[in-house]
Amino acid sequence: MSVIQVKNLTKIYSETEVPVHAVNGIDISFDKGEFAAIVGPSGSGKTTLLNMIGGLEHPTSGSVLVNGKDISELSSSKLIDFRLYNIGFVFQAYNLIPVLTAKENVEFIMQLQNWDKTKMDKRTIGILESVGLGDRINSKPNQLSGGQQQRVAVARALASKPQFILADEPTANLDSKSTNQLLEIMEKLNKEENITFIFSTHDQRVVDKARRVITIDDGKVVSDIVKKV
Amino acid sequence: MMLLKIAWRNIWRSKTRSAVVIFAIASGLVGGLFASAWMNGMAQQRVVNTFSIETAHIQLHNPKFAENFDVKKTILSTEEKLKEISKIEGVKAVTSRLIISAMAATANKNMGVTVVGIHPKTEKEVFGLYKKIDTANGNFFISKKKNAIVISKALAKELKVRLKSKIILTFQDYNGEITGAAFKVIGIFKTDNSPWDKSHVFVKDIDLRKVLEITKGQSHEIDILLNDYTQASLISSDIKNIYPELLSEDWSEIQPYLSFITEYMDIMMGVFMLIILGALGFGIVNTMLMVILERTKELGMLMAIGMNKKRIFLMIMLETILLALVGAFVGEIISMFLIKYFGRVGINISSLAEGMESVGYSAISYPVLEPYRYIQITILVILTGIIASIYPAIKALKLNPSESIRTL
Ligand SMILES: Nc1ncnc2c1ncn2[C@@H]1O[C@H](COP(=O)(O)OP(=O)(O)OP(=O)(O)O)[C@@H](O)[C@H]1O
Ligand SMILES: [Mg+2]
Repeated sequence: MSVIQVKNLTKIYSETEVPVHAVNGIDISFDKGEFAAIVGPSGSGKTTLLNMIGGLEHPTSGSVLVNGKDISELSSSKLIDFRLYNIGFVFQAYNLIPVLTAKENVEFIMQLQNWDKTKMDKRTIGILESVGLGDRINSKPNQLSGGQQQRVAVARALASKPQFILADEPTANLDSKSTNQLLEIMEKLNKEENITFIFSTHDQRVVDKARRVITIDDGKVVSDIVKKV
Repeated sequence: MMLLKIAWRNIWRSKTRSAVVIFAIASGLVGGLFASAWMNGMAQQRVVNTFSIETAHIQLHNPKFAENFDVKKTILSTEEKLKEISKIEGVKAVTSRLIISAMAATANKNMGVTVVGIHPKTEKEVFGLYKKIDTANGNFFISKKKNAIVISKALAKELKVRLKSKIILTFQDYNGEITGAAFKVIGIFKTDNSPWDKSHVFVKDIDLRKVLEITKGQSHEIDILLNDYTQASLISSDIKNIYPELLSEDWSEIQPYLSFITEYMDIMMGVFMLIILGALGFGIVNTMLMVILERTKELGMLMAIGMNKKRIFLMIMLETILLALVGAFVGEIISMFLIKYFGRVGINISSLAEGMESVGYSAISYPVLEPYRYIQITILVILTGIIASIYPAIKALKLNPSESIRTL
């Protein structure tokens, strides 16, 4: 069974003068362990689609099933808990809590989930080492480069072992070296932990790394290519 | 725990702003606590002075004497009673007095006064009036001379007399006959209560007893000093049981306003602190709203990754409370030092003193604040923090995570 099933998903913003069909009837599903990129021109609806999959926005119509459960029916406070236990998020920026160290940031979600302290410590150190920040665990976000901050964000998203990770343009603010590093880390963790990664991007190098590329335009899927391994 | 850590560190993110808030809270508390301590000190002094000069802690009278100061309505077997009372647990000292209304006359003037006949030795154990005579103004019956009198500075001025001047006291004796005697001024006192000063003069028990023709063993009043004045009503009711024929009153019955003073000060302090904390509360609300506005994205991110509303609310509330507590802590420390210092050296308001003394307060006052007041104020500050955090926290909860994320 697919981890995520998106059925006839539509989002219409009607507060504007002319209603915007940001997502216009998308059907798509993701299996466990996928490493998929969503691409498309600016304004094509990538963020809107990811936000609905992540339970951050309510669809106008259609449904998002996560492990068979329709999350569009959940109340907003139930959705917060759902996100906490099932989804890892990586945003373009402002991912981290500025007053916490790298280690504390990674622990944050596990803390909210009430993990056992020793288990959490082990997991945090392990994951920070695999994103190459084993020596920076006590640094605050403002002491880290943009690329390092994004790696901490990926570590945090992964640490609590969610069902899948959504990353909206995770490399948009990074130079090419950091972009490469981040992608390599994401790829490695995707394999090691068998966690589904779905990310949106403008960046061709990111697209090249993806094993599946979904192109959308005007809120519709125009192509969905699974690369052969 | 983690929320507490975040809340605490968040305070120090904007150091200047937090410092301003902390300074505001601290100065508000210093003002409030110091003023409270000052008022409290004045009230306590007033109470203690009244004990020491006027009432002692418990007084016994013949119930009929209390009605109209009839010379004949005396307490009998005074010496035995004094002995028995001094053995009661909690009693520190005890003395007896004769009391009679009289006309005090000099060449210049006549004035109505209350003459108090005292036993110098035990009187000094119970009352502190003797301390109110400074060395230039004589003493409180140190010499054995007959027919000596101690009067106040205020009365001396009215009667135009000085040390060693003579005053004629005229009164009705035990048998209803008008009688009188001349007394020589040997001491001039001054208390903080000028109306009382003008109406009381002191002579020795034996001198007065002779003039009034009252036999030994009779007296008008027994005054009792306790180790702890708060025990007065308890011990007074014990004494009532021992001497049912006498009227036993504790200080709050003799001078009911004394207990009002303390209650009134409590209320004043309460109102005062509420006003200060209310004003500070508004400042805190304002600051926290700014904080929320600045952290819109961060709060949106936190909600997006799964921090629920309860935790967001708690985090903001904790930050507000901690901020208020830091201010309170600084303010309380400063207040404590100020109150300690001025509690030792005193605050002199002699320019206003005449007005104060006509209503019974001292010119120099010593601020005091009981330790539990600091705890009380800390609790009030926490409550202020909680209340002040509600509105900003609700604002934060209204944020829409997806919108704050989109504007990343
Ligand atoms: N809150 C909103 N109200 C009205 N219109 C909106 C809102 N959010 C997004 N849109 C519109 O919906 C469309 C899709 O936006 P979306 O952010 O999903 O695009 P995107 O593919 O993520 O673009 P980009 O690559 O620039 O991030 C755009 O036309 C946008 O203007
Ligand atoms: Mg976008």
